[in-house]
Amino acid sequence: MTDTTDQSPTFADKEDEAVRRAQEDRLRAVWAAPKGWRYWSAVNNTEVGIWYTALSFIFMLFAGVLALIMRAQLALPENDLVTPDFYNQAFTLHGTAMMFLFAVPIFEAVAIILLPQLLGARDLPFPRLSAFGFWCFLIGGVFVMGSIFFGQAPSSGWFMYPPLTTEEEFTPGYGPDIWLLGLSFIEIASLAAAVELIVGTLKCRPPGMRLNLMPLYAWYVLVVAGMILFAFPPLIAGDILFELERLFDWPFFDPSRGGDPVLWQHLFWIFGHPEVYIVFLPAIALVAMIVPTFAQRPILGYSWIVLAAVGTGFISFGLWVHHMYTTGLPSISLGFFSAASEAVAIPTGVQIFVFIATLLTGHVIHSVPMLFVSGALANFVIGGLTGVMVALAPFDWQAHDTYFVVAHLHYVLIGGMLFPVVAGVYYYWPLVSGRKLSDRPGRIAFWLMFAGFNLAFLPMHYSGLAGMPRRVWTYPESLGVGTANMISSVGAFVFASGILIIVWDVLRPRGKEPYAKRNPWNAGTLEWLVEMPGESWGVRSIPAVTSRYPIWEQPNFIDDVDKGRFYLPDAAEMKRETIITSVLDGKPLQCLRVPGPSFMPMIAAVFTGAMFIFATFHWWAATIVAMGLSTISIMVWLWRGTSLIPEKPEKDVGLGLKLPLYKSGPHSVGWWAMFIMMMGDATAFLGLVFGYYYFFTIHADFPPPSTVGPGVLWPSVAFGLFAVAWSTALGARLSNQAGRVGRARVLMAAGALVALAASAALLWGPYVTGLRPTAHVYPATVWVITIWTAAHGVAGSLMLGYCLARSLAGRMTPAHDIDIFNVALYWHFVGFTVIVTVGTLAYLPVLM
Amino acid sequence: MTRSGVLAAALASAALTGCQGAQSAFDPAGVEAERVLTLFWIMLAGGAAIWIVVIGISYYAVKGKSGPYSDRSGIRLIVWGGCVFPVVVLAGLLWWGLTMMQELRRAADGPTIAVSAERFWWRVAYAVDGEPGVIRNLPRGGVPSANEIWIPLGKRTEILLSSPDVIHSFWVPPLAGKIDAIPGRVNRLVLEPTSPGVFNGACAEYCGTAHTYMGFRVVVVPQAEFEAYVASQALPAAVVDGPGAGLFLQNGCAACHTVRGTPADGAVGPDLTHVASRRTIAAGVLPTTVENFAAFIRSTEHLKPGVEMPGFGMLPDEEITAIAKWLGTLE
Amino acid sequence: MQVFGKTQDNLWTLVAAPTIWGFHFLFSYFLAAYRCAPNDDVFRNIGGTRMAISGVTAVCLLLILLIARRAWREWRADGGGYSNNQDTPEARERFLEFSTLLLAALSFAAVVFETLPVLVFWDCR
Repeated sequence: MTDTTDQSPTFADKEDEAVRRAQEDRLRAVWAAPKGWRYWSAVNNTEVGIWYTALSFIFMLFAGVLALIMRAQLALPENDLVTPDFYNQAFTLHGTAMMFLFAVPIFEAVAIILLPQLLGARDLPFPRLSAFGFWCFLIGGVFVMGSIFFGQAPSSGWFMYPPLTTEEEFTPGYGPDIWLLGLSFIEIASLAAAVELIVGTLKCRPPGMRLNLMPLYAWYVLVVAGMILFAFPPLIAGDILFELERLFDWPFFDPSRGGDPVLWQHLFWIFGHPEVYIVFLPAIALVAMIVPTFAQRPILGYSWIVLAAVGTGFISFGLWVHHMYTTGLPSISLGFFSAASEAVAIPTGVQIFVFIATLLTGHVIHSVPMLFVSGALANFVIGGLTGVMVALAPFDWQAHDTYFVVAHLHYVLIGGMLFPVVAGVYYYWPLVSGRKLSDRPGRIAFWLMFAGFNLAFLPMHYSGLAGMPRRVWTYPESLGVGTANMISSVGAFVFASGILIIVWDVLRPRGKEPYAKRNPWNAGTLEWLVEMPGESWGVRSIPAVTSRYPIWEQPNFIDDVDKGRFYLPDAAEMKRETIITSVLDGKPLQCLRVPGPSFMPMIAAVFTGAMFIFATFHWWAATIVAMGLSTISIMVWLWRGTSLIPEKPEKDVGLGLKLPLYKSGPHSVGWWAMFIMMMGDATAFLGLVFGYYYFFTIHADFPPPSTVGPGVLWPSVAFGLFAVAWSTALGARLSNQAGRVGRARVLMAAGALVALAASAALLWGPYVTGLRPTAHVYPATVWVITIWTAAHGVAGSLMLGYCLARSLAGRMTPAHDIDIFNVALYWHFVGFTVIVTVGTLAYLPVLM
Repeated sequence: MTRSGVLAAALASAALTGCQGAQSAFDPAGVEAERVLTLFWIMLAGGAAIWIVVIGISYYAVKGKSGPYSDRSGIRLIVWGGCVFPVVVLAGLLWWGLTMMQELRRAADGPTIAVSAERFWWRVAYAVDGEPGVIRNLPRGGVPSANEIWIPLGKRTEILLSSPDVIHSFWVPPLAGKIDAIPGRVNRLVLEPTSPGVFNGACAEYCGTAHTYMGFRVVVVPQAEFEAYVASQALPAAVVDGPGAGLFLQNGCAACHTVRGTPADGAVGPDLTHVASRRTIAAGVLPTTVENFAAFIRSTEHLKPGVEMPGFGMLPDEEITAIAKWLGTLE
Repeated sequence: MQVFGKTQDNLWTLVAAPTIWGFHFLFSYFLAAYRCAPNDDVFRNIGGTRMAISGVTAVCLLLILLIARRAWREWRADGGGYSNNQDTPEARERFLEFSTLLLAALSFAAVVFETLPVLVFWDCR
């Protein structure tokens, strides 16, 4: 692939100063962020990543202030500094914001900034998707957090257990709706980021970066994004059930009509436990980048880290019931989760020992980032050890829902996530601003944070076992935990003062302070190719990588990159471009044109957000209008910005390599994005189906003998029609590929119509047999699965219509068929959904 | 907060200090709490040792060592420290935890008591017969009481737990760990006290604003005393008429409360037939005194924010006092 | 997957062993839930369930061992050792094989952990 002896004119030109200048001007112009108010239409990872990070930190500070208010209230027994109602809103929003608006988004945010740099890519493959995710996050986050200023914030704890939250009599107002709809919207942003990051890691690596040469951060990102893909959808399924119960009284969690509140706990924690590792692993990934730099050696035990990341990713899905040890489940069930909860400590321990071993075998340089890493280690190990304790059900029966658990989770999250993230802030700040943060204030901040944190949270272990439950507004003096709580409160403020110093150090104007030297920490990985201050293009040319630490190990590396001696040193057509490579070996496959600034992601996010917000307040007409506008804006965005037919089939990317500009099917990033998105979609669907089988296991008779189901006839008709629609989609793809455009168009039109008919037939089944979803949980479950599948049929119909329009408009041809290829892939997933739906709802009850 | 609110809070504060039993898992008085505390101390000692060793090695790696170690010794550290040691220790710990769970959940040999956790108090029924299960309700009947549970010493008492409204959690730290009270499910918890006394319980699962004030007492007595207590709770009220009783009925208290032997048969709030025999009122919030009855009737919301019972501050003081006095006689 | 002879490793072969753990976990959980979730008659013996889970455990452990054996052999054939940071297809294979081996070991331990409850609990209490 790489032919460095090539003496083509392009290569020679690169040594010519004037040519190089012209290239740099073109690159700079192409990648520049828009000016003025149009700045907010930027989609490049450097802009979006920084907005995303900054916003996450703002939410973190906001949630931190809520925590300080709580600590002030709890400083003295029987205190009444705040009202119980405000206190309840404060602890709910504190947990919600720290989890959903800080811990998860900060991973996405940092990964959006770092990943392309680490992979020597100019951008991620779907910059507009990242921008869409950011705007969703902004709208959803402001909506959820803003509610506290109107006294309308959710107040039932961040895991929102029904029936407390689903019954109007217990929680009047909009609190749970705000929580639910706001967060569903943010979950969409997370899934968008997961798609972006998986494709980014697998397909946007620099030429030559084989799997075994990938930076560890990228491994973690891959694992974590995969976890998001399977962890968030069950919560989306739970959200759907929850909101249907709140809005329309469908009794999923109402035992008087066959429902069960524990189902929500399952769906929530199937998300909620992996989520802890979704938060923890990316922070540890930062440590995996920092430790080698300051040990001045490659990581020792690269494979072991991969083992730990992948192993944790898997086992973390087998832990969810350890949040439910006290729900009275059978011991044997608790036993399985107890076993997995102990087992997950093994890979976690491996990671820690890899870092220690790397330090032991290197020359350690002291620095502020290393200080925070050490603090992280000291605190996280305590959290890990108490985690091993609470993983044992008998001990957890005492510790559960007390301040012991509050202490444990803060040791895990602050020790395992916040300290590493702050280490990462100190380490990567030069990438963002071109300057290091100050050393002395950094050390002071560290010691304040470290001491304050331990003062605040160590006594909580005691308070909890001494009998203090969590989420209490106050406590009697006679409980004997007054001193412990006072120490905790003082510690919290000391901790906050450390954070304040960092905030000050980040925000203070630095005026004439010189920029840091390039690669200021003498690191070995690609992100440190960035000039100080950074250029918008990321890397001057996309390097060929032959090592895990190219800056350390590849001779003359920085100079070669800077002189444009590698790939894509130019933007001759004035288009944003990056290189797509193969999964295993990083062989260059395609020169991908990535889209530039656009307001469409923001507009689409605004309409989607409006849809969720209107639904919160039951403004149905407005909701439907917003839904229409959101669909249209997404269509416009796709129509104008995706699968564009390039002006020429291939281009010279440098070093004598010619790469195609257009690829469809499994070779295209769009196909991967669709595949990954549909994996998430299928997981959400399986979450709903889990509900059906869950009720099947807990009820002696399910479906209840007195109720008729959707029958066999209409589901079978729908099944047949869906089979036809699926085959037209596949047929359209094949005909189009074979050049028979006319036939393809007929098939697309027919498929779009048949899909609508199929959806209607599916809905007709439960309608015609008179299933009332409010009567019992069985009809409600049948309806929700039916509607889900029918909605997918309608969306599939829209997609086929879209392809037809693309074909008619000349934007899709036999050689340029990304659209129909992806739509056909979508239809395979619809096929799976239909088989499960009809099998479960129509045929299974007949067989049983 | 209003003046009366401050006064009420001060009163509540003074009251709370006077009526506390033990609520700490560090002072076990039950088989489960004892075993778990032993488990905790051993895990704490082991955990502390592991922490010191891990942090010690890290400190040595960063600051102490004279030069870099070989890769081979580094890998050896990962294999032994990160893999072999945790696998062995965790497997042993897991085995201990599992066998302990099986042991702690073995069958009861004492009475069965139904406890219904309700916003924001505990409905108790002695001498019931029932089974745990899913999609099931607590057995009806039995001898009713509230917020105070008597159990016999040395027996394994089975508590059947559920809730008609939201999820609560039943926790008496000195006796045992907690178990949730979940609408539509009946959970079981076995208490096996090893020493007599009065122990504090609390609701551990957030259930609404008055969650903080949803306490109860567990009174451990010898078997004979337990039986006598249940028999006395089964009797109708000691005093069934007089001015207090009349006002109680007249002002609508009977819509929510039952006083057996009088026409008061409300089922919404606690049964008050023997309320004066109980140590606390308002679910562990105030010690049982005539003054506290009066204070609570006057201003429920200040003494127990979020409580479901409305305050009756609009009643003339002498009426409140009369009702309180009558309640004080209901032993 | 081939057990004898050389195969090209990829991300799917890497995650095969933990996937088996996942299957074993879900199977055990669902079977136990099906048997015990109604939560009545909690002291009834569940010997059949325990036998079924033990049987599946044996099969899963065997599969994991086969994965480990294949990874081990090919890792040795590709030169073995912990060094896999070179820019060659062999280094990539060696890396994937060794990581597969480690993941198989972890999965083996995790499946064994997962089977301990079956040995301890003989009823639904």
